[in-house]
Amino acid sequence: MSVKRDENWEPQILAFCCNWCTYTGADLAGLNRMKYPENVRVVRVPCSSRVNPQFILRAFQKGCDGVLVCGCHPGDCHYATGNYFTRRRFMLMQRLLEYNGIDPKRFQARWISGSEAAKFRDTVTRVSQEIKELGPNKKFQEEWYSEGGAGNE
Amino acid sequence: MQLKKTDLTGALKILAADASVFVPGEIEGIKRFVLWDGESDVDLGGANTQLPPKDILFPCTEKMYNYKMGDSIEIKEIVEKPRQVIFGIRPCDMRSIDCMDHVFLEKGFVDSYYSRKRENVTLIAMGCTTPERTCFCDSMGLDPNNAPNADVMMNDGGDTLVLEAYTEKGKAVLEALNGLLSEGGQAKKDTACTLKVNMTPELPEKLAGMFDHPIWDEVTRACIGCATCTYVCPTCYCFDIDSDNHGAEGTKFRCWDSCMFSDYTRMAGGHDPRPTKKERVRNRYMHKLSYFHERYGQHLCVGCGRCVEKCPAHMDITMFIDKAAEV
Amino acid sequence: MSSIIEELQSTVKKLLEDGTVGYVIGWGATRFPDRTTPVFITRPEDAHKLVWNHYCVNGTAKYALDDRYPEKKIGIIIRGCDSRAVNRMIQDNQLKRENLYLIGIPCDGKENPVCEGCQHKNPLVYDVLIGTPVEEKINPDRFKEVAEFEKLSQDEKYEYWAKQYDKCIHCYACRNVCPACNCKECYADQYRVGWQGKQNNRNSNQVYGLTRAFHVGDRCIECGECERVCPMGLPIMRQTKKMLKDINDLFGDYECGLNDSRPHVLGEFDLQDRDEFM
Repeated sequence: MSVKRDENWEPQILAFCCNWCTYTGADLAGLNRMKYPENVRVVRVPCSSRVNPQFILRAFQKGCDGVLVCGCHPGDCHYATGNYFTRRRFMLMQRLLEYNGIDPKRFQARWISGSEAAKFRDTVTRVSQEIKELGPNKKFQEEWYSEGGAGNE
Repeated sequence: MQLKKTDLTGALKILAADASVFVPGEIEGIKRFVLWDGESDVDLGGANTQLPPKDILFPCTEKMYNYKMGDSIEIKEIVEKPRQVIFGIRPCDMRSIDCMDHVFLEKGFVDSYYSRKRENVTLIAMGCTTPERTCFCDSMGLDPNNAPNADVMMNDGGDTLVLEAYTEKGKAVLEALNGLLSEGGQAKKDTACTLKVNMTPELPEKLAGMFDHPIWDEVTRACIGCATCTYVCPTCYCFDIDSDNHGAEGTKFRCWDSCMFSDYTRMAGGHDPRPTKKERVRNRYMHKLSYFHERYGQHLCVGCGRCVEKCPAHMDITMFIDKAAEV
Repeated sequence: MSSIIEELQSTVKKLLEDGTVGYVIGWGATRFPDRTTPVFITRPEDAHKLVWNHYCVNGTAKYALDDRYPEKKIGIIIRGCDSRAVNRMIQDNQLKRENLYLIGIPCDGKENPVCEGCQHKNPLVYDVLIGTPVEEKINPDRFKEVAEFEKLSQDEKYEYWAKQYDKCIHCYACRNVCPACNCKECYADQYRVGWQGKQNNRNSNQVYGLTRAFHVGDRCIECGECERVCPMGLPIMRQTKKMLKDINDLFGDYECGLNDSRPHVLGEFDLQDRDEFM
């Protein structure tokens, strides 16, 4: 699949962040004026285990180039055990996506606590860089987006 | 007129010059009508296609118009008038096009999406030489050797195909192929189905009075409620219209729907007049064998046997017909 | 074989006569000798309509979901795979064991390629067993096909699946026949929610296939019904087997439906699970 590289192309990355840890960590990164790539859009979720695997497919359908799921470190879950389920679920999901042709770099999960502002910045920067190297994602994209919307016939 | 089978590719090339030609072919192990690629040999024998050619005239998903909402609503209709040729379509599938013509073009209702495709299609039918064990079209009143509504009727004549034009469109086809044709040709027209079904002329009316008959409890229980029978059926024409919405813009499309689905008759508010598979299967069988006959004077089942072949639960409309004829 | 049929028919006849069961789900003849269809025997005198041969391929267990509150017990004739399906649905709280009367029948494989790899030919749970248990063997090639496929490049994998899903006709036979697909309302039917539209195109088929694979992957009993019923011949099991292979690799030996107590893999966790997300 040859993809025309546009020098100005910036990836669109969706990050699902747990309200209790990663979202707070991202907030702290902001308070500390840390700089991280602006192509990451954060969606706040009550717990990383709230993230349904369908959300990830949906993101790819709607044109995201990468998806990141972040939650509390195992043992620190606000709901005690939520992220243990996340861990199992997304280890399998990542492999299933790879099996269907999606690079595992395009879907990653990380544990980032409320105090780890620097880890949030570093993770997001690295993921953004990795996806930039992979180029735009066309796999699993809805026709509407791959064809360029209503204006395109 | 006759055409040597060795000249078939040449004939298809002439037809493909100004139209998309669909021929029986195979994609990923599924026999279906495919767009002719301009060079492959075409096998008109063997089993009939597993999928009917209905999606050429009535696509599985058909975009109707794009819309954009702003200060005013912009609507851009998607009008397609493709010149198409369906080559090698068998009498059972030809009859199914006849049924769809009734539905989409008659009684004062003309479906513009269907009619645009129908007017621009040339149907070159092929008499069936290889009925499957599930085929029962001659019991449904068809002749497997002849399709009266074809533009050109082909029959197998050994080394040749014997062609006869039935319509003006068909005459034009024969004229275009003139260089490859020669006079004469004798075709065998003795194909008959091995499966005989007791489809009596009285059955449509009889079934109409059997709506509450206990037979339905028995014949519908094995159904798993999937849509295989309706989607492989050449005559099932039900569709739904929905939109693919993206914010303030999107596409309106219509797509096949199936009376086997639980949401097919569900109304706003949640009531469903056909709540279980009994009502759904009854509706399908009644529609095929009784309702359509009442409205248009012919059966909606053409006897192609695809639903018998493909049903996951091995339900069999022919067994039902025989049973219903006896009670 | 004929004595097994006689034993089967007389057992069913007796169960119907003494009122143990309201009806029995089994296999009956069709017009073609190499094909059977599920039948529902309600009267003792109809017990002779039951057949048992190489072509009894249809799963029987899922039909019990059509009748969740039976007046009398539902009799189901079950093979090894059907017994796992029963366990699956009991575990998912869809069926109650006390509503079922299970007539087990050891199965030596049917006219279905999936049977070649079957590891549980004898019913795992039953109230009465017809015939004698057959020999079972471990299938060393359980995940061979998946392992082979994993070797392809990402683009090759994507192309392969894209071509397969292009064939899908949205009939939902795979879902309707699957004992693990027992949701009251499938996400794919919730058109207004918008997960899945009614349009048939590559993308929506891919997403349906993948979503279903993930939904049932950790609860799949490997009966192969999805693949058998698919009118377009999609290799559906290849997706769920991938899930099962990874589960076996990551979380230890795992087979579904062997009993009705162990929760499915994604419904439980272990503090010692491998962590790749640090």
